[in-house]
Amino acid sequence: MLEYDSANRPPPVIDEFIQLIRYRDLIVLLVENILKNRYKRSVLGIFWMLLNPLLQTIVLTIAFGTMFKSSLPNYAVYILSGLLAWNFITQTAQYAMSTMAYGGGLLNRIYIPRATYIVAATGNGLINLVISISSLVIIIIFLGHPITWTWLFLPVSIGILTIFVLGFALLLSTAAVFFTDTVDIYQVFIQALFFLTPIMYPPSIFPAELHQLLLLNPFITLIDIFREPIYANQIPDAALIIKATLFSLITLLTGWIVFTKRADQLAYRL
Amino acid sequence: MDETVIKLDNVTVRFRIPHEKIPTFREYAIRWIKRRGVTFSHFNALDDVSFSIKKGQTVGIIGSNGAGKSTLLKVISRVIRPTEGRVFLKGRIAPLLELGAGFDYEMTGRENIFLNGAVLGFSKKNMADQIEQIVDFSGIKEFIDAPVRTYSSGMVARLGFAIATHIQPEVLIIDEILSVGDAEFQQKSTARILNYHKNGSTILIVSHNAPSIKQLCDHAIWLEHGSIKMQGDANEVVDHYSAYLHS
Ligand SMILES: Nc1ncnc2c1ncn2[C@@H]1O[C@H](COP(=O)(O)OP(=O)(O)O)[C@@H](O)[C@H]1O
Ligand SMILES: [Mg+2]
Repeated sequence: MLEYDSANRPPPVIDEFIQLIRYRDLIVLLVENILKNRYKRSVLGIFWMLLNPLLQTIVLTIAFGTMFKSSLPNYAVYILSGLLAWNFITQTAQYAMSTMAYGGGLLNRIYIPRATYIVAATGNGLINLVISISSLVIIIIFLGHPITWTWLFLPVSIGILTIFVLGFALLLSTAAVFFTDTVDIYQVFIQALFFLTPIMYPPSIFPAELHQLLLLNPFITLIDIFREPIYANQIPDAALIIKATLFSLITLLTGWIVFTKRADQLAYRL
Repeated sequence: MDETVIKLDNVTVRFRIPHEKIPTFREYAIRWIKRRGVTFSHFNALDDVSFSIKKGQTVGIIGSNGAGKSTLLKVISRVIRPTEGRVFLKGRIAPLLELGAGFDYEMTGRENIFLNGAVLGFSKKNMADQIEQIVDFSGIKEFIDAPVRTYSSGMVARLGFAIATHIQPEVLIIDEILSVGDAEFQQKSTARILNYHKNGSTILIVSHNAPSIKQLCDHAIWLEHGSIKMQGDANEVVDHYSAYLHS
C-alpha cells in the first residue's frame, strides 16, 4: 500500500527522480499539449516554426553574408546551424523559467513532481529543434551544400545539448522562483552572450591573443559540437566532445542538486 | 479496523514574509553592498499541530478564515512539506483541494480528463479504461468535446470531481468544494462520498457549513490561528464553534 512519511523519505535528489518516473505520463501529455496548443492557434502553425529560422537566416545572410564570403562559404548554413543550437538552449531555458515563475501555480495547489514543467519544457524544445532541422535541410539543398555521413553524429550532439539544457533550465528556474527579476537579467545576459559567441561570424575574427579568453565561453563548445557535422562535414574532435560532455554533465548535476534541494521550498514561494 | 491512516506529529508550517519589497537580484545586490540583510518576518500558518485519524473516520475541519484549514489539507496531501514535525499517511489519497486545478481551459473536456488524471498520478491506460464512466458521472455528455472554457463553473466542478474520485481512494480530502456547483452536483457528489465512506474510505472535509459537518462527520477538529482549539465528537465541537462565533 502507498505510504507517505514526511520524516522518512529518500533524499530529495533521488526522490524527485523517482517521482518524475512515476509521473512520466504527465510529462508526455504536457509536451503533447504544448505542441497541440501552438498548432491549433493558427493553420500556419507548423509553417511558422519552419519559416521563423528561415527568415532569421535570410535577414542575417543579406546583412553579413558578403562580409564573410571568403571565410564562410554557404554562410546561411553556418548561421542557421549555429542558430538552431543557440535557440534550443536559450529558448528552452527561458520557457522553463517563465512557466516556473508565472505558471507554476499548480505546484502549490496539488502535488506533482516539482521538476515536471522543466522536463516538459526541455522535451518541447527538443521537438522544436528536430522540426526546425527540416528548414535547415531545405536551405542546404537549395544551396547545394553537401550532406554527408557526419550527420549520423548529430544525435550524439543533440543528446549532449539536451543534458546541458536541462541542467541550465533547472538552475535558472530555481533562481526565477527566488528572484523575480531573473527573467529580465537573463535576457540582457543572453543578448550580450549572443554577440560574444561565434554564430553570426567565424571565430577567426578575434585576434589570436583573445582565443584563449574566448574559450571561457562554454557555449562555443556546445554550438561547435552541433555545427561541425553539418557545416564542416566533420566529426568534432575527441577533445571537443569530451569537453562538451563534461561541461553538460556538470551543469545537469549542479542544476539537479540545486533544484531538488530547494524543491520543497518552491510551493512556499510560488 | 483500528488502523491509523493519517498522523500528524507537532506539525508546523511556517511562511516567510519578506518585509518591504519583493525579492529581486537588484534588491539583494543593493542590500549586500550596504551590508544590510533582507529582513523577513515569520508566520505560522500551522503551529505545532498533532492528531491522528483512524481508518474509516469522517473528520470535519472547522475554523475562521485564515485559521489554517487549507494549509492543513495541503500538508497532508504533500503539496507542501511541514517546516517542522512529521506527517504520516497510508493509502492512496484523492485530494479535492480545488476542482479543475490543472485544467487547460483551451482544451476539450476529454483531453482534460487525461491531463487532470495524469496530474493526479493516474496512468494514461487507466484513464483510457475509465473515460466512459467519468464522462457518465460528470453528466457533461455532448459537451465533452468542447473546450473547457465554454463550461459553466458547475460543469468544471462536476468534471473535476468525477476525475478525482473515479476510483475509490483510501483517503478523500475535500476543501470546501461541496459548496460550489449546482444542487444536482452537490447531491451526486455527496452520495458518492457517503458510498466510499461506507466502503471504508477515510474522509477529511473542510466546510463552512456547520450542519453539513454535523451530518457527514463523526469527528471534528477546530483550528484557530494555526492551532487546534478543540477536537472530538463532531456535534460537540461544532456546537462550541457556533457558540464561539456568536459570542
Ligand atoms: N504561500 C503563502 N505565503 C504566505 N502566507 C500564506 C501562504 N498560504 C497561506 N498563507 C497564510 O496562512 C494562513 C492560513 O491560510 P489557509 O490555510 O488558507 O486558511 P483557511 O483555509 O483556514 O482559511 C492565512 O493567514 C494565509 O494568509
Ligand atoms: Mg481555505
